[in-house]
Order: sequence, then structure tokens, then C-alpha cells
Amino acid sequence: MTAHAAALRVAGDTHVGKVRSTNEDTLIVEPHMGLYAVLDGMGGASAGDVAAQLARDTIRDFILHRRMTLAPRALLEAAIAAGSTAVFLAAQHEHGRQGMGTTVVACLVVDADRVVIGHVGDSRAYLLRSGRLQTLTRDHTVVQELLLRGVLSVEEAERHPYKNVLSRNLGGKAETQVDLVELELRPGDRLLLCSDGLHGYASAEAIQYLLGSGDAPEHVARDLIDLALRGGGGDNVSAVVLEAPAEELSSTEVVRTTGASTWWQHRQRFLQLASDGGLPRNPIVRGIPAREALELVGLSLCQAIYHDLEKSTGVNVWTFAQNLAAGWFQRGGDWQAVRGLIDILAAAAHGVLDDIRADDPRLGFLLDVAVTRALVVVELALGGLLGERLRRIDGDLIALHGEALDTVEFATREAIQIPDRASRTSERFIDRPTIPFLRLDRPITGSGVSAEILTAIGSVITIARAQISPRAELLEHILLAIETVAVDSAGNFAAAVLSAREIYGIRSMDEAGVMPLFDALDEARLLVAAAVQQLRGSEALRVRVLRALSTAHQRLVGATTGLVLEAVGPFSDRLREVQAVTAELRDAVAKAERKRADLERRFATIVDLDQPWGTRGTTEW
Amino acid sequence: MSAAELTHAVRVLRDEVLDTAEHGDRDPPGAEVFEALLRALSVGGETIPGLDLALHDSVARRLAWGDSEEDVLADAELVFDRLVVSVERAFRDPDDQMAVIEAATQVAVTVARVVALAAVGRASRERAARTREEMAQRQLREVLDKQKAAIQHLEHELKQDFR
Repeated sequence: MTAHAAALRVAGDTHVGKVRSTNEDTLIVEPHMGLYAVLDGMGGASAGDVAAQLARDTIRDFILHRRMTLAPRALLEAAIAAGSTAVFLAAQHEHGRQGMGTTVVACLVVDADRVVIGHVGDSRAYLLRSGRLQTLTRDHTVVQELLLRGVLSVEEAERHPYKNVLSRNLGGKAETQVDLVELELRPGDRLLLCSDGLHGYASAEAIQYLLGSGDAPEHVARDLIDLALRGGGGDNVSAVVLEAPAEELSSTEVVRTTGASTWWQHRQRFLQLASDGGLPRNPIVRGIPAREALELVGLSLCQAIYHDLEKSTGVNVWTFAQNLAAGWFQRGGDWQAVRGLIDILAAAAHGVLDDIRADDPRLGFLLDVAVTRALVVVELALGGLLGERLRRIDGDLIALHGEALDTVEFATREAIQIPDRASRTSERFIDRPTIPFLRLDRPITGSGVSAEILTAIGSVITIARAQISPRAELLEHILLAIETVAVDSAGNFAAAVLSAREIYGIRSMDEAGVMPLFDALDEARLLVAAAVQQLRGSEALRVRVLRALSTAHQRLVGATTGLVLEAVGPFSDRLREVQAVTAELRDAVAKAERKRADLERRFATIVDLDQPWGTRGTTEW
Repeated sequence: MSAAELTHAVRVLRDEVLDTAEHGDRDPPGAEVFEALLRALSVGGETIPGLDLALHDSVARRLAWGDSEEDVLADAELVFDRLVVSVERAFRDPDDQMAVIEAATQVAVTVARVVALAAVGRASRERAARTREEMAQRQLREVLDKQKAAIQHLEHELKQDFR
């Protein structure tokens, strides 16, 4: 019992009150025995406190000496009964002690999650579980008995003049009946043992509020007594608070509670590190006094992280990063300043985390994970803003390109030398044996396009690329490959083959591996056709551009299919090799068969005809 | 030009594009591509599955007769090149030219898809055939080993008897 009792947190307190001159209440707080009790003595001429103390000592001694021989429930019942007998006998034999008695509410801890509560009189035991307060005991008063028998209503009982007259106590009779309650404790449960000086002067709601405050038991016990005193303090007041150990907090709860507050307590350190890192010198806060800059940016992020830790969200840091960067970009600021500022803040945050880890490794680790996650959210927010900026820049570039096409004379473009991309890329591939169709030097009909067409081809591909998702990488590669092949003037298949090899990559030689490539090629065809329709210029120009791009597309598709044929070629070669080996084996088997038949014939000629065939044992094989 | 008129106009180019005079009564190489083009033009937006099916049959027929996938591909390229040249000369209206070129490009992609599928299918069959051959080889080796053992035994017996 005692070992388990140590797991509970317990505190008790008692007060004489504001009216009485002596305190007739007494407590038992014996953690090593697992015994806790409140006793409220009664009887004039200091008899009340004598009764309470006598009962207290008797109960405590009884349990101390008999705890190995009786079961917990019987032990507590017998102990209280012994206390009653002791008080009764003392009242009978000692002068001036007649009529003395005491109430008792006692709790015996059986193990970490089980207690037995015994009581006599109007001292009470309360249980606070999941925020709800419930009374575990029933007052042994005359009015309560009448109420239970239906003689009085609740309202009548509240106003009854004898509502404090006890129907049962320790010492009133030689034997007394003890009410017992066994209780399974759950993590976080709180038990309150108290005298009527508390529950008579404080509402159940107020008791529930203080008991559920989450403060340590010693603070709760003191607060409960203060509550009774503020309610009048007309009687001695006593309280013992027991708290069952709470379940271990999850990592999230630790971060939300201890973690968040620990982080916030380190805010000055965070600001110091940010200052040392050069935050006041960052262009974003230039012109603002260093202290204000630190509070404006550093403290804001620190606070945002704190709130996000508390709620396990990333909303606050996201908003912080968005506001910071968007405002700076709107003022024409550059990316480097934002990057630099975030780097300083991240370094300061990690400095703080190092400090926390040094003090408390577990909490430090959990905070490290949570704060790093918050910093990742900051990066994501900045990434979103950057992506938006890039999309705008891309749109502007396309518009500028279109405007340039309108304003610049085509004649002046004749001198423009289009780089021969095929000649550049050809160095990346080693010539290797392949099918004749894919020979790099295979002559093909050249497009023979002019500089005007070359420029228009570039425009069409730009328009087509603007239509596709940034994630459609294969489609984009195909469009660039079509452009490469279309502007190629070598007059051979090299550009198409090399471009096709680039987009072909590594594929499994089945339908699932190959067909997506042809789907993308078909999609590219539709995109190019639609982009040609958007091309500014004459219809004749559009026809020529479409012809050049379609021819290039056909070449690319042909080369891609050629690559598929090239890839399946080894399958045929390998099959032929295997078939040749099979044929050799068949020949060898046939030859062996012939030789065996020959040997058998020879063998038959030398066998003695008088001997029956098979007796020589040669037929075993 | 309407779709029917355009189809008719392109059909007129058949001999020129396929160079039929050189091949006499036989179907010239690339005929299946040209027929697919006419079909794509006549229905005005033929679905890809429709073209796929038509070309699949004709390409499969060619492959069954012994032509290689490479031959089919080369013929398709030839037809496309000749068609582009012929269209430029034959059609005055840019819209008509563009319609034919777009249809020809669509057919080119479809031919390529069908040929690639046929090649992949062939590769799959060849993989299976190779596995069968390898199994047959294992059985043949076992038979050969037994034959060799039998021959050794017989030779040994013969030597004993002669002695």
C-alpha cells in the first residue's frame, strides 16, 4: 500500500476559521501508510479536539499495526470502528468529556489506482473526474435521513433547523456503522476530503472550479480554505487533496504547453541572437532603429512561432512570411534581402533551440522538430510568393516577345544566326550501331526555312509552351525538340534522332512505358496547331510555319518510333541466338540417339543366343 | 472547301504521292497511310481510336506479309514528305493546306503509335518464345545427358564381352 501511495500527490491544510477560538478539526496525512483523513471533533470544553485527536491516533495506530492482517476494506472499517470505541470509552471514563465525538472521512490507498473511503458523520469526500465534481459520501445527519425517507423535500431540508445535527458519529455509541466506498482511480482524478467548515461555506461550483484548476494539491488545499473563509469562516475548516498521477502527455501536448511557454521565455535570447546575426542591418529594416527593427520583425516571428506551437498550426508563421515578403516585393525589394533576413531569423531560432536542448534534451528535441517545421512553413510561404512572381515575369516576357515581333522588321533578322543545336547536342551521344532508319547521316528533305519562318517558329513554340503546366516536363521537352528539328538545316536525320533520344530517356519496353511518350507527342501536335493559329502575320506565313513544324514533328515521331524499334531489336537477336543453341542441342541429341542405336545393334550381335535376353543385366539402363 | 471536297481533292493526289506507276497492280508502299489520311479528312476529326483501329489492321497485314516495322515507318515518312510537297502545289487556299497538313501529322503520329505498339507486342512475344526455348534447352540437355550415360554403359559392356 505504501509504495503505491507514493505515486499520489497529496496535501492537507486546516484552519480555525473566523468565529471559533479552537480548531477541533484534525488531519491524517500519512503518505507512507497511504492513509489520509479529516476528522471534525465536537463537544464543549475542548472535548471536540480531544475526540478528534484520539480518534486520529487510534485509527492511525490500528492501521499501522494491523495492515498486514486485514484486507484494505475491512482494515479501514475496523480502524474507524476502533477509533469510535476509543472515543466512546474516553467519554465514559473521563470527567467533562461526556458527549464528545467526531466525524471522520478517511481514504486508504490500496494501490496506484484503487482507494477505499470510509466515513461517519458529515465530513465529505468529493471526486473530481474529467472536470466534473461528484460527492462520494452521504452525510449522516438527521435531516439527510428524513430526506432519504421522503419525509422532507430538498428545499425543506436546506432550511431545516436541525440540518447540522448528526445521526451518526465516532464516540456517540459503543459501536458505530461505517459507510465504505471503493473507488478505481483514473489518471488525473482528484479526491477532496473536507469538513463541513468547507462544504458548509462554499458552493459546489466553487469547489469544483478550484479543484479543477490544475494547480498543485498544496495550492488547491490552501485556496479551498481561503474560499471557506471568504464565505464566512463560521466553523473550523479542513481539506485534504489527493491527485492521481496524470497520463504522460503526448509530444504534441508537451509542445503545446511546456514547449510553447519555454520558447516564449527565450524570446529575449532570440532577439539577441537575431541582433548579433545582423538583423538591424538587413535592407528590409534599413532606416528603422535597431530596437524597433528587432521588435517589428524578430519579435513578430517569435510570437508567430509561439502561437503556432500552442495550436499546432502554421498559420501565424505563414502569414508573417507572406506579409513580410509581399510588402517588400511591392516596394520593389529584391529576393536576396528576404532570403538574408529569414536566414538570420532561422539561425537565431536554432541558437535558442540549442540552449533549450542543453537544459532539457527531450523538450529541446520536441521543440526543435516543431520550430523547424514552422521554419519550413516560412520557406513554403516564400516559395509560393516566388512562384507567383515567376509566373508574372514569364507572362511579361511572352508579351514582350510578341511586341518585339510586331515592331522589329523581319528584314533585319536575316542576319541572325540560329545556332545549330543539333551540332551541339550531337557531341553528347556516341555513335552506336543502330537500325538503318535511325542513321544520323540519313538524308531527309530539308525544311529550307527563311529567317522569318525561324522567328515565327520560335514564337509558336513560346506560345505553345505558355499553354502547358510547368510540371508537364515531357511535353515541354517535346516542344523544344520540335523547335530544334524545325530550325535544323543540316539536311539529315541527326537532329531528329538526337532530340528523340533526349526525350526518350529510359523506358520499360512495354505498353505502359512507351505509350505515354506517344500521347505526349500527340498532345504537342495539337498545341502546335493551336499556337500556329494564334501567330501574328499572314495566312501564308502560318501555312509555311505549320508545314515546317509538322514536318519536324513527323521527323521527331519517326525517330522516336525508330528508337522503340532499336530497343526491341536485341529481343529478336537474343531469340535467334537462343534458337540457334536449341538447334545445336537437337542435333546433338539426334546424333547421340543414332550412336546409341548403333551400339545397341552391335551389342545384340555378340549376345549368346542361348542365353535369354536380359539375364546379363545389360538392359538395366 | 468542305470535308468531302477536300477528301476528293487529296484522293486525286494518290498516284503522285504513292508513285503508283512504279508498282503496277500491287498496293504501293504507304498506301495504308494515304487511306488513313483520306479517312481522317472525310470524317473531319476522326477520333484517335478510330484511326488507330484502321491503321492497326493495315499495318498488321503488312507485317504479316513480311514487311518490317522499319519499312512501314520509312514508307509513312515518304508519304508524308511527298504529300506536303504536293499539297503546297495543289491547294491555293491556306486553310485547305493547313487542314491537310494537320490531318497528315495526325496520321503520322497514329502510324508511329501503331508501329511502336506492334514492336512492343513483338518484343513481348519474343520474350515468351525465348523463355520457351530455354525450357526446351533444359529438357534437351537432360535427354542428352541420359543418352551419353547410356552410350558409356553400352561401350563398357561391349568391351567386357570382347574380353
